[in-house]
Amino acid sequence: MVYISIAKNYKIFLIILLLYKKILMFMDLKEFELIYKQNRCEIKDKKNIETRLKGIVGKNNISTKKIDLLAYSKDTSLIGFNWTLQGKIAGLPDFITWPETEEQISEILKLANREKIPVIPYGEGSGVVGGAIPVYGGIIIDMKKFNNILEINDKNLTVTAQTGINGMNLERYLNARGYTTGHIPQSLYISSLGGWIAHRAAGQFSTKYGKIEDIILGMEVILPQGKIVKFKTISRASTGPQFDKLFIGCEGTLGIITKATLKIWPYPETRALISYAFPTFEDSLEATRQILRQQIYPAVIRIYDADETFRHFDHIEKAKNKVMVVFVCEGIKSLVNLEKAITMDTCEKNNGVACGEEPVEHWFETRFRVTETSLSPTLKTVFDTIEIEILWDKAADLYHSVITTTKKIKGLIFITAHVSHFYPNGVGFYFSFAGIAPKEKTDLEFYQEVWNTVIKAVEDCGGSFGHHHGVGINRSKWMPVEWGVSFDTIKQIKNLLDPNNILNPGKIYENLWKNGDEK
Amino acid sequence: MSEILEKYKWIGPIIEKMDRDLKRIFMKNFRMRDKNFFPEGDYKADIKNLVNCMLCPNMCRFDCGTLQTSLTETMSPAYKARIGYYLTIGLIDPMKKENQDFINLMYKCTNEENCKIWCPFEFSVVSLLETVREDLNDKNLMPDYCKQQIDKLNNTNTIEEYNIYRTYTEKGIENIETDGNDEVFYYIGCESMKFPEVIKANIEILKKAGIKFSTNLDSKICCGGPAFNIREMETANKFAMKNKELIEATGAKTIISDCPGCILTLSNRYEKLGVKIEKQIIHIVQFFKKLIDDGKLSFKNKIPEEFRKITIHDPCLIARNLKDTESIRFILNRIPDLEIFEPLYNKDYVHCCGWSGTNHWADRDLAIREARNRINELKDTGVNIFISACPLCELGLAYGIDENEKEKYKIMDISELIIRIL
Ligand SMILES: Cc1cc2nc3c(=O)[nH]c(=O)nc-3n(C[C@H](O)[C@H](O)[C@H](O)COP(=O)(O)OP(=O)(O)OC[C@H]3O[C@@H](n4cnc5c(N)ncnc54)[C@H](O)[C@@H]3O)c2cc1C
Ligand code: SF4
Repeated sequence: MVYISIAKNYKIFLIILLLYKKILMFMDLKEFELIYKQNRCEIKDKKNIETRLKGIVGKNNISTKKIDLLAYSKDTSLIGFNWTLQGKIAGLPDFITWPETEEQISEILKLANREKIPVIPYGEGSGVVGGAIPVYGGIIIDMKKFNNILEINDKNLTVTAQTGINGMNLERYLNARGYTTGHIPQSLYISSLGGWIAHRAAGQFSTKYGKIEDIILGMEVILPQGKIVKFKTISRASTGPQFDKLFIGCEGTLGIITKATLKIWPYPETRALISYAFPTFEDSLEATRQILRQQIYPAVIRIYDADETFRHFDHIEKAKNKVMVVFVCEGIKSLVNLEKAITMDTCEKNNGVACGEEPVEHWFETRFRVTETSLSPTLKTVFDTIEIEILWDKAADLYHSVITTTKKIKGLIFITAHVSHFYPNGVGFYFSFAGIAPKEKTDLEFYQEVWNTVIKAVEDCGGSFGHHHGVGINRSKWMPVEWGVSFDTIKQIKNLLDPNNILNPGKIYENLWKNGDEK
Repeated sequence: MSEILEKYKWIGPIIEKMDRDLKRIFMKNFRMRDKNFFPEGDYKADIKNLVNCMLCPNMCRFDCGTLQTSLTETMSPAYKARIGYYLTIGLIDPMKKENQDFINLMYKCTNEENCKIWCPFEFSVVSLLETVREDLNDKNLMPDYCKQQIDKLNNTNTIEEYNIYRTYTEKGIENIETDGNDEVFYYIGCESMKFPEVIKANIEILKKAGIKFSTNLDSKICCGGPAFNIREMETANKFAMKNKELIEATGAKTIISDCPGCILTLSNRYEKLGVKIEKQIIHIVQFFKKLIDDGKLSFKNKIPEEFRKITIHDPCLIARNLKDTESIRFILNRIPDLEIFEPLYNKDYVHCCGWSGTNHWADRDLAIREARNRINELKDTGVNIFISACPLCELGLAYGIDENEKEKYKIMDISELIIRIL
């Protein structure tokens, strides 16, 4: 009897010990509350994996130190700043690696497939939808050591670079040699070439230069099972389905992009700075639509709704209670003069009042001065931005619908918008909101409610739920709505390339937020 | 800061329009801002700005020397601020041995201050980290590599195990003692003592220009810069008081130094401690520029062929702290036939030699790699001679050149070029 009891207790003790060990294993940074803690991967022999990773990347290119794990526990999702201040962490990786060659990445992926360990590609961590968060733990592959600029080809107007390079460092290098990629996102200083491709990024000058998918001409990608694929650099081709395009927007789930060739342009000879204030939002939309219809492509166009006009251009007398639009035309002088003349003429025909260069200069001066993220969490407010796409005929309706429905949410302080990206056929809206979670909700629940309300309004209007920040965690719930039946096919493609689901799991294809009630 | 207040003016009308309950909560959050996130008790850490920095998307990351060298998130500026905050509020317990890496991070920063150029708050991360270092010192947690520096300062009055100033005779440096009535006091930095040829060149130039000056190497001590970096304020204060006394005894109205770090310490840093030296304190290149302007210094000889092409490495403390990128170029431009090359990152945007601040004690390997990066940028100009005006830069850059290339590339102080054409 006694023996049985001892054996029983011993068993219970063992179970407790094992459980404790398991908790310890992935709760290294115990001081910090972990947000994404469900379904973490179970790594049986961590020491052994560490030794094997060391064998692949060398002992200086891997870490399991607390100080490094904590550094890679977040991306730049704005709610993450609230967590940072509250001492919470979004995800917790098990290993950080900094490979230096394609072969090393390939070997890490092969090991991860054998051991069923998640692998999360990491660029500069500026993504705002949770894309680089290691939600199930696993191996971070930081791409920072892939930071070489390999070749500028003046005749072809291309630059080839490794994808871990920081955007600003690529742009500065090009500018010094008389070129630009024309891809200037607001996150230029804080994002990488690989991150741009992974999230189908769009720069502020993209009406002229195009979005990242228009700029990328060639890539090297490592598939989830370790195969290294080199796509040709081509200006265009008719060679069957364009497999390479699948990786632009893959968000690190279908492959790791290691090298890319981009279009470049001679640095613009001149710039024209133009601004107009319009009596209504609709007038401003109409004016810009007509400009594009005439095949005039100012590099920058930005429409600020009345609230944002007040926020950014309060000092401009003519813009009081109006809707401000800023334009930048750039390139060779004769072309810029023509674009400027047509832009101004069209604005005037649509009730625009010229405000001169000052508002545009103000935009240039302030465009990288991000301070909102530092303020909002200290006021216990939740702040974020959501960018979406819509065709012209529904643009105004969508704007009003998003604003009215979102304003009804309890705790919302404001929701405003500017129109940031333009096409002859449609536009990209950029909504900003802030609010305080009501008593009965956590910050995350409130945040999810706003996100889901905005996206529902967008989908109801026939728009697309994301323009350039990607899907990540924040929008995966809406993938079936956005893509309809083809979402199953997308999932099949993922499954084909990554049967063990090791490459950046928890994003795009899975709905971590459930129905917005994830606790 | 006023720019920030101006930026958030627009919130006023939004608050006005809020419903009563929301407004009440918002205003309460606003009032409680400091209480909510500030720790209790005594601390010197600049919590408000550490929080501002840790919640920034790292807007200066692309130009942060330690981050761009280490290529790890761990070294990113906002993360350093975050760890500073966590150490202060005790979320990461600094007293636990296992957290030593976090303490070390507070010292892995150079004083190059590139961050300040891009930061919307105009922070220099190192100045935020310095406030955390003060608290660590108060808790007796100063890392050993810093203690060693403080010990050296207190034992030898210099940054070496021995009093480096007393080596002037063996190094062939002439010492000029003051008669209490000097025009100029040439304040030689302890690091400069490692480059006797530079000091000899400077003395020769000053003599040629007919300047009445002294060097007082028999009583000379360190400016105390390392103690300021480490924030060991007792030692820092001691050196400030002693230097003030020694400098004032020279009677000179102008203090010139070959070390931009000394200039920063003798002026800004002493002043912050309440020790004001009522003298003009300038870098020696600024003085040389003035001598040229006044017609007291001119270049007569032709530049030897092997020195005809040079690349400028701006010391960050001259470029960004003294905000002077002009003096070096002014002098060099007056040298006939000299071809001047500029690296991609120059003037206000110069990258660090790796040897500034506390990082080279905390992580020597990282400092050497940063030096190597800078050397590569200088090499990209295609020129083999790199001209600077700071002993720390000359020290750091030398670490950046591979052994087998030591013959090919030369790091020179501007004075060493000038004496060749006097
Ligand atoms: C202040 C601010 C302003 C912003 N402005 C813009 C803007 O104007 N336009 C815009 O498009 N975006 C903008 N963003 C969003 C963000 O900068 C982009 O999504 C950017 O493209 C992410 O790049 P990253 O290198 O930081 O990627 P990370 O955040 O590191 O990663 C993002 C995703 O890409 C994957 N990934 C990273 N590198 C690779 C690779 N080499 N191969 C495969 N997958 C990879 C990751 O796994 C992750 O899923 C902004 C963000 C902030 C914080
Ligand atoms: S120093 Fe300034 S720009 Fe750099 S991370 Fe801190 S707040 Fe951001």
